[in-house]
Amino acid sequence: MKKQIRALIAKPGLDGHDRGALIIAQALRDHGMEVIYTGLRQSPIQIAQAAIQEDVDVVGLSSLSGAHKSLFPKVVQALKDKGAEDIPVIGGGVIPAEDIAYLEEQGVAKIFTSGTPTEAIANYIEKLVDPDAGLITPPEKIAHIGIAVKQLEAALPFYQDVLGLKLENVEEVASEQVRVAFLKIGETRLELLEPLSEESPIQKHIEKRGEGIHHIALEVDDIHERLEQYRESGVALIHETPKTGAHNSQIAFLHPKAGNGVLYELCQHSEKE
Amino acid sequence: MSDQSKYQQQKQQWETDVDKTTQRFPERKENFVTSSEIPVERIYTPEDASSVSSYEENLGFPGQYPYTRGIQPTMYRSRYWTMRQYAGFGSAEETNKRFRYLLEQGQTGLSVAFDLPTQIGYDSDDPMAEGEVGKVGVAIDSLKDMEKLFDQIPLDKVSTSMTINAPASILLCMYIAVGEKQGVPMEKLTGTIQNDILKEYIARGTYIFPPKPSMRLITNIFGYCQTNVPKFNTISISGYHIREAGSTAVQEVAFTIANGMAYVDAAIESGLEVDQFAPRLAFFFNAHNQFFEEVAKYRAARRIWAKIMKEHYKAENPKSWKLRFHTQTGGSTLTAQQPDNNIVRVTLQALAAVMGGTQSLHTNSRDEALALPTEDSARIALRTQQILANESGVADTIDPLGGSYYVESLTDKIEAEVNDYLERIKKLGGAVQAVEDGYMQREIHQSAYEAQKRIESKEDIIVGMNDFRIDEEINPDLLRVDEALEARQIEQTKNIRESRDQQLIEDCLQNLKQAAQNANENLMPYILEAVKAYATVGEIANVLREEFGEYTGM
Repeated sequence: MKKQIRALIAKPGLDGHDRGALIIAQALRDHGMEVIYTGLRQSPIQIAQAAIQEDVDVVGLSSLSGAHKSLFPKVVQALKDKGAEDIPVIGGGVIPAEDIAYLEEQGVAKIFTSGTPTEAIANYIEKLVDPDAGLITPPEKIAHIGIAVKQLEAALPFYQDVLGLKLENVEEVASEQVRVAFLKIGETRLELLEPLSEESPIQKHIEKRGEGIHHIALEVDDIHERLEQYRESGVALIHETPKTGAHNSQIAFLHPKAGNGVLYELCQHSEKE
Repeated sequence: MSDQSKYQQQKQQWETDVDKTTQRFPERKENFVTSSEIPVERIYTPEDASSVSSYEENLGFPGQYPYTRGIQPTMYRSRYWTMRQYAGFGSAEETNKRFRYLLEQGQTGLSVAFDLPTQIGYDSDDPMAEGEVGKVGVAIDSLKDMEKLFDQIPLDKVSTSMTINAPASILLCMYIAVGEKQGVPMEKLTGTIQNDILKEYIARGTYIFPPKPSMRLITNIFGYCQTNVPKFNTISISGYHIREAGSTAVQEVAFTIANGMAYVDAAIESGLEVDQFAPRLAFFFNAHNQFFEEVAKYRAARRIWAKIMKEHYKAENPKSWKLRFHTQTGGSTLTAQQPDNNIVRVTLQALAAVMGGTQSLHTNSRDEALALPTEDSARIALRTQQILANESGVADTIDPLGGSYYVESLTDKIEAEVNDYLERIKKLGGAVQAVEDGYMQREIHQSAYEAQKRIESKEDIIVGMNDFRIDEEINPDLLRVDEALEARQIEQTKNIRESRDQQLIEDCLQNLKQAAQNANENLMPYILEAVKAYATVGEIANVLREEFGEYTGM
């Protein structure tokens, strides 16, 4: 299990506007972090002490009074003086754009300005604390492009005879009620799909939209992990867990609304070809 | 068949017809609600505006109980609302320049913003003040600064509102002393001190002392001003900051009125008669974007307060029944993105305040999500009010939305929900107890968090922020407070300390200390003496800190 992130949210100086600080604190809690809120009127030294005492992974500062230029760097310095420079400091509030570069120069890791979604802050902290955690591995290549056809035998002559592509194999995929033909094209393939019954999703596709491109399949290295990661990012999934597709590969579909109307399939081959 | 049931039947028939349409063409949302989650119907009919049928009891005429339609018989037909822009930054000299600029531009009242050290009773050279001097308002340490602040501004001609709470008595005494030096006796001074400590614990954060001695300081001011400064509003009971902290419109009114009742209770307990101080109580509300809900909110607040003062507190002077209020447009509704759009938001909010019958108005500047306003931005904000007043005709008749089925229905609903809250707070032991228990703070935070989630899920659209965005560099010309100001202010205060009669200071502070120990003494005369001897805000506050202790939050 992942280690729970601990964050200190602090209000340095005399500023009493804590709506933002309280909302960030609650949002980070909702993201599974443990959050300690210092309350108002904390000096930089008090904040550094609290950060060390509570053994936090990150300190978030909020100021809306214009004192950020003087107070934020002092928190960074106080942490350094106590040998805790490994605790990163981030900040937000009413902070003019031209002050951001100065604060970052002074060792503040990041300033979030007004209008930042809390989600973005939580994701940033996760990556800041564990740089590998959120690393995204992109799909390796397009595994194939799926094309819905009424009948394989009627479609194949164009691909084989006119385009001159090589037919690799034809097989039935019982789970989807389809018969498929794979044609190799460069490092990828075209997959022609013929429905085997009225219930086949391909039959429904043809009834609604006619023949044509049905889906794009993306080759991934670890389909379980990718699905988990996409779900956490808020992507709608058609299949929460992978199922068996052609060539005994593991497949899962993402909802078309995730990809601007394109139906994407993730696929992981049983053995690399 | 009565009119009521006739409308009801016709409306039902109409709704059935409409349902056929909406099955094919659904409406934008399944449920329409206001910021306070009051359901918004497709249409309102006379049956929803039952107040109109009991006109005398629920609405009345302007200037007549229960003041739903306004507190004066002529409202803006005799005089527009007071255009009062909150200003203050840096040193007293700089702020004085901004004040005089605003007066030249046609502003009709002053409103002083103090910096945070002043508001929390620290001098500029106190270690706690570091980085905050002159940032969100003007730095005032001693009477010297106050003299500079009002240089060439005749205090018998302008009314001045001061956003000062925990040390309100100190700053009011300084104002009295400046008046005296100008030859203006204190009975002629007009203006308002905010002096509302309960909402500081709830939402704004500039408290110093615990609730009990804080309530004493407030009632001391009520008692002193009633005879000595009779034209000054001794408190501005503020919903503004409660709303900014994230409350709904209903919570804004409910918590403000609950706090108001706590002050009335405390004053009565201290031995004052309700009609002695109640006419000088003023209120301060916010204006957010949901236009009709805001208008209804002001109308409901007036009616609720009038009923409470007359029926619950048995006040007999009609002046005690009237809820007079200042409005400021909603700072938290402004966006840092595409800041010029904020001018439009402010216009809409200002219009709501005027439709709601406000006595004075501050319109926010477009750049306030980024920094303090520049002179250009502050002028546009003032011009917005002047355009509303002079060009739109909205001020020519009183309560023009009165009688709108929707607005009357909303006014009734807000009143009912506010009364529910007041009942709950009463059960908790009153506002002071509810504040100490953190009840209001939790309610507000809950509303704020839900509002944030609605924005992030785009259920609520904020133009330029979560939709209709453009690529922009958010970097307009901003007002910067000179970073060297802090050192200069510290230097000046040191000089004051060296040039004054130290023995006199010590005597004044000693007298104040002794008076503070006797709960029956009114502290105002002692503070006035100390202020006149050039004792600083911090020195006076420290004496009281020693006697009263400090509030440290929940």
